[in-house]
Amino acid sequence: MEVQKEAQRIMTLSVWKMYHSRMQRGGLRLHRSLQLSLVMRSARELYLSAKVEAHEPEVPLPTGRSPDPRLHPPREAEAAAQAAPPDGEPPSPEPMDTQETPRAEETPSRCSPRPAKASRKRRSSSLSDSGDAGLVPSKKARLEEEEAEETPSEVPDRLQPPPAQAEGAFPNLARVLQRRFSGLLNCNPAAPPTAPPACEAKPACRPADSMLNVLVRAVVAF
Amino acid sequence: MEEDIDTRKINNSFLRDHSYATEADIISTVEFNHTGELLATGDKGGRVVIFQREQESKNQIHRRGEYNVYSTFQSHEPEFDYLKSLEIEEKINKIRWLPQQNAAYFLLSTNDKTVKLWKVSERDKRPEGYNLKDEEGRLRDPSTITTLRVPVLRPMDLMVEATPRRVFANAHTYHINSISVNSDYETYMSADDLRINLWNFEITNQSFNIVDIKPANMEELTEVITAAEFHPHHCNTFVYSSSKGTIRLCDMRASALCDRHTKFFEEPEDPSNRSFFSEIISSISDVKFSHSGRYIMTRDYLTVKVWDLNMENRPIETYQVHDYLRSKLCSLYENDCIFDKFECVWNGSDSVIMTGSYNNFFRMFDRNTKRDVTLEASRENSKPRAILKPRKVCVGGKRRKDEISVDSLDFSKKILHTAWHPSENIIAVAATNNLYIFQDKVN
Repeated sequence: MEVQKEAQRIMTLSVWKMYHSRMQRGGLRLHRSLQLSLVMRSARELYLSAKVEAHEPEVPLPTGRSPDPRLHPPREAEAAAQAAPPDGEPPSPEPMDTQETPRAEETPSRCSPRPAKASRKRRSSSLSDSGDAGLVPSKKARLEEEEAEETPSEVPDRLQPPPAQAEGAFPNLARVLQRRFSGLLNCNPAAPPTAPPACEAKPACRPADSMLNVLVRAVVAF
Repeated sequence: MEEDIDTRKINNSFLRDHSYATEADIISTVEFNHTGELLATGDKGGRVVIFQREQESKNQIHRRGEYNVYSTFQSHEPEFDYLKSLEIEEKINKIRWLPQQNAAYFLLSTNDKTVKLWKVSERDKRPEGYNLKDEEGRLRDPSTITTLRVPVLRPMDLMVEATPRRVFANAHTYHINSISVNSDYETYMSADDLRINLWNFEITNQSFNIVDIKPANMEELTEVITAAEFHPHHCNTFVYSSSKGTIRLCDMRASALCDRHTKFFEEPEDPSNRSFFSEIISSISDVKFSHSGRYIMTRDYLTVKVWDLNMENRPIETYQVHDYLRSKLCSLYENDCIFDKFECVWNGSDSVIMTGSYNNFFRMFDRNTKRDVTLEASRENSKPRAILKPRKVCVGGKRRKDEISVDSLDFSKKILHTAWHPSENIIAVAATNNLYIFQDKVN
């Protein structure tokens, strides 16, 4: 349980960092994004293995009710992802590359940059291998997000365009991330993930934060 | 709005110092030239400051040459890439000197996207006695000129001027992390996250791509290039390090595109050290050839390793820089310190290696005696002529006097950039916005 909470915390932290790194001067740093996605993947694996051990009730998989039908066919097509940039991609793959968050394998890290573009990226087939029902975004998760969310006081301009393009691969997560992070960034500039330089031996587990839990559940879903 | 957030984050860490330092003054690179007479520093504001060692006077034999400011110039300015809506930082990532071939000095400086060749030259004479111009440069009335004279060169106050001689731009999609001058002195390479380009100093509108590790599908990206350097003597050989902790040695004679390495250096992972953050702390932040060309040294987050070029399966020496941080990796991830890129340097004889750490500490390892020392670059400890006292970090419970405990380390004070004089025991240490120069004690 401790392990699971810790893994959740690190995943949230990583997503936050990834989002924040997009706003830094100089643009998205490929190396940093890669490292963040590696940590995210490790945290996710840890979380999933801890969850399996704990036999927690999982979010049910509603068959045929995935919010984005594109998520299903690409599972088989992932192996042929070489032909990936489909014709629908923006005509300049090079400039896009620097803004993409690279992924070693499947990773939720794609979610933050994705909302900014109408994405046609496929999900990894390893998601289908794991067979974890909680990984597929479900209607139930979306309802919970909408219940728990609060209206942020202000939304940065950058976050405005994405809602219009929410028909990307992960519309729910996109929306959740926009609202959550705008809240985090505007209301609390000394953001929660930055710990003071004097390191503690073991970071204490934060008390369950309903907002973060919702966010992390959305992250885990991918 | 995004910039406000950035500024706030930076301001907090500096206010703790009780001396407010602007972000632009943070030193981002330090490099001695080939004779050690000049020392160049680059900062986040895109400026280059060059120090020159003063001539040792015969009167004061005990006073070693000190370094004074020789020239300051703005190398890079912030730019905006309109196509991608990205700002290009003016921070100087690396400076590399060219060997001196005439009276002028040449150096390469680079930011994330553009490399520039600068010529630094002195002017201490000026011509006087023109026929057609007067002393202020105004044209004289031709009817007043009745005699002819030859202008003579008269001494003037020394003026050091820096001029950009070449600008090598638009060749990198990703952020440049290294530049390295080839031993043929005609070419150099620039490396970004996924590609390495070879340039000729005379040609700015073309470069050869010699390494390209960009996968066809970016989703399959697993590693990036973190540093690259030419061999000091063999102009066909270079190495580059990766974020996975591996080093590849390439020979440009083998093929035009050096995607297939000649040698591959990788140490098998120690399973007992495996942790959550293993992958990211194994990323190599710097790679340096020894002066002899026989060894390479790599720096990852916790260690410095020396490799023999003839042995690829493991390093010949491994030095722990700050192993006490191994249990703190989670906190270091939270405050982003785990992403810090430390550099490492050899001394002139390749017998001692040096690298930086936190709390303004830097470490030196003697490869022969296997002794190591931790020193601190701070104002309190640095009265001129004072001898630096070795420092010690206490790991266990009992802290002795003069030791500092791990939890008291200041992680905002990091020494990422250091340089060692090519032949003498003089070191330059950059601590945030301050430059410290230390010399051997003179008996």
